[in-house]
Amino acid sequence: MTAAQISALLPLLVLSGGIVVLLIVVAWLRSGAVAFLGALVVLAATIAVTPLALGAGTQDIDGLLEIDGYALFFHGLVAFAAVATAVLSYRYLKPRAAHAQEFYILLLVATLGAVVTAATDHFAGFLLGIEVLSISLYAMIAYPQEGRGPLEAAAKYLVLSGAGTSTMLFGMALIYVVTGTLEFVPAGEVGRNEQLLLAVGQAMLLIGVFFKLSLVPFHMWTPDVYQGAPAPVTGFVATVSKAAVFAVLMRYALAVGVVDAEVLRNVIVVVAVLSMIAGNFLALLQINIKRLLAYSSIAHMGYLLIAVVVAATPEVRSFGVETALVYLAGYVLMTLAAFGVVTVLSNADEDAEELTAYDGLFWRRPVLAAVLAAAALSLAGIPLTVGFIAKFYLVAAGVDGAAWILVWALIVGSAIGIYYYLRIVFAMTKRPEAETQAPPVAWEGVVSVVVLGASIIVLGVFPSPVVDFVRALGGP
Amino acid sequence: MTLDLVLFWIPGAVAIGATVAVITRKNASRALIYLVVSLLAVAVIFFMLGAPFAAALEVVVYAGAIVVLFLFVVMMLNLGRSSVMRESRWLQPGMWIGPFILVAILAVVFAYAFASVDGVDTKGEMVGPRAVGEALFGEGPYLLAVELAGFLLLAALVGAYHLGRRYLEERRELS
Repeated sequence: MTAAQISALLPLLVLSGGIVVLLIVVAWLRSGAVAFLGALVVLAATIAVTPLALGAGTQDIDGLLEIDGYALFFHGLVAFAAVATAVLSYRYLKPRAAHAQEFYILLLVATLGAVVTAATDHFAGFLLGIEVLSISLYAMIAYPQEGRGPLEAAAKYLVLSGAGTSTMLFGMALIYVVTGTLEFVPAGEVGRNEQLLLAVGQAMLLIGVFFKLSLVPFHMWTPDVYQGAPAPVTGFVATVSKAAVFAVLMRYALAVGVVDAEVLRNVIVVVAVLSMIAGNFLALLQINIKRLLAYSSIAHMGYLLIAVVVAATPEVRSFGVETALVYLAGYVLMTLAAFGVVTVLSNADEDAEELTAYDGLFWRRPVLAAVLAAAALSLAGIPLTVGFIAKFYLVAAGVDGAAWILVWALIVGSAIGIYYYLRIVFAMTKRPEAETQAPPVAWEGVVSVVVLGASIIVLGVFPSPVVDFVRALGGP
Repeated sequence: MTLDLVLFWIPGAVAIGATVAVITRKNASRALIYLVVSLLAVAVIFFMLGAPFAAALEVVVYAGAIVVLFLFVVMMLNLGRSSVMRESRWLQPGMWIGPFILVAILAVVFAYAFASVDGVDTKGEMVGPRAVGEALFGEGPYLLAVELAGFLLLAALVGAYHLGRRYLEERRELS
């Protein structure tokens, strides 16, 4: 391995080395606080070495990983989300689990899996990355020791995510039969039978990916899992696993030209439109904020598929990739902020998941209410938030790529979405009937959601640093 | 239809039949026995495709270790006298007939393939343990993949440890 390859691999080396060291440390010091601080140190270190890796340029590692600006962007995003999840989980887990050490190790391993998924251009890395991520998530979802909800959610996620992975694996095998390699390469000139086999394989691969991204009609598991999982883990599932799987979908689709095939392009368009419309419609009448955000995430993943379709057109390829990265950055910020507020407001017995728990929040907790309002307005795409910039990008990309159906679906979906996002805001502005004493909340959780909320507004008003940064990264 | 195609179809059909039996049996231990048969059929296919090492692993790891683990779980779930009676009712001689016939078919195919390793044209090359080891630990993409698989197992181990502790502690409180 050359020096450039090693420096490109440095973020992953630091992360995986950190996991091993932390494992040994918590074996001696059985303390949740040590594990928590250790995880933060490891994540900070892996973010700190990312500029070194960026300096090394695009490096191919053994044909398994492709460390480029695109991969490192996802590395930064995922590590950032992991930091937020760790900070939010610390106080949340205390009354729920007597031993919290393993949670932080699982969190780091899940982060590693997500980064590998985003950085790979080989089916072996694709499968292993997704599995490392998912296996850690099962245990993280089932982490609280009390109550049946988390266990039920974990079991559901285990079975359905397992079904998705096996469909994906079958697809990979069929693609391998045709191309004879596990790398992401176009099949080239093949006979008629092979073409059919390849199309079936790619369709199965897409179905597996749609499962993981919870796109309609493969979305049924999402609301139940989001509701049952502990609130900080729900935020992690909604951001990190979606971002990682989307990253590899984009990389594969662009490397192989999946969208060039008329049939598969139509499949992606139909799934995107269904997700935008159905996700928003199903969210309308939810009275549970976790379920509401679950349906809203289905719609947002549908919006994101526009970027995949647009990026397949050679002239607007780099713009399509840029759109996807900006949108994902915004989506991660606002989703983490929303679930962060849910986490901070949750008491020792139950999560603050009923919408009625947010009535009059502006009067009781103005800061948290302001953050949740910023997140909700951003998810709705109201100007002066990062969600508006992200949606603006998508519309521009859709128009550039002449994907008119998708742009119309985006507009209709967003219009429906405004209703239920504003319901959250209106509930919070209700004047309370009686003065209630608000219970104390975790200060570090408040700090982290305030940072997230502030970045939603700052990047919404002044997006050019992020946009310039993403533009300089280049595509996969 | 040539002989090697027939030799492929027979274990293939056995694998599908046994798997259908796995999901249609109402009795867990019967289903597990059919699962073993299904895995053995896949192992025979591996052998005929020129991968004796993969075939051996299939038998040792899947048919051996994993299904035995399933059986342990099924046994542990049923404690007490009533379940002993239920188990003896399950383990009637008749339940062995179906799996026995399927395994006998597999044995004939396997014996034929084993006796004429050079005679069966599998359209593939022989991949022995040495080649597998070189692919995994030599140059190429799989060395990193092996290390990633290590992290996969680590996550599974840590998760299983945590989830298992929940029940250990409950039991400790009871006793």
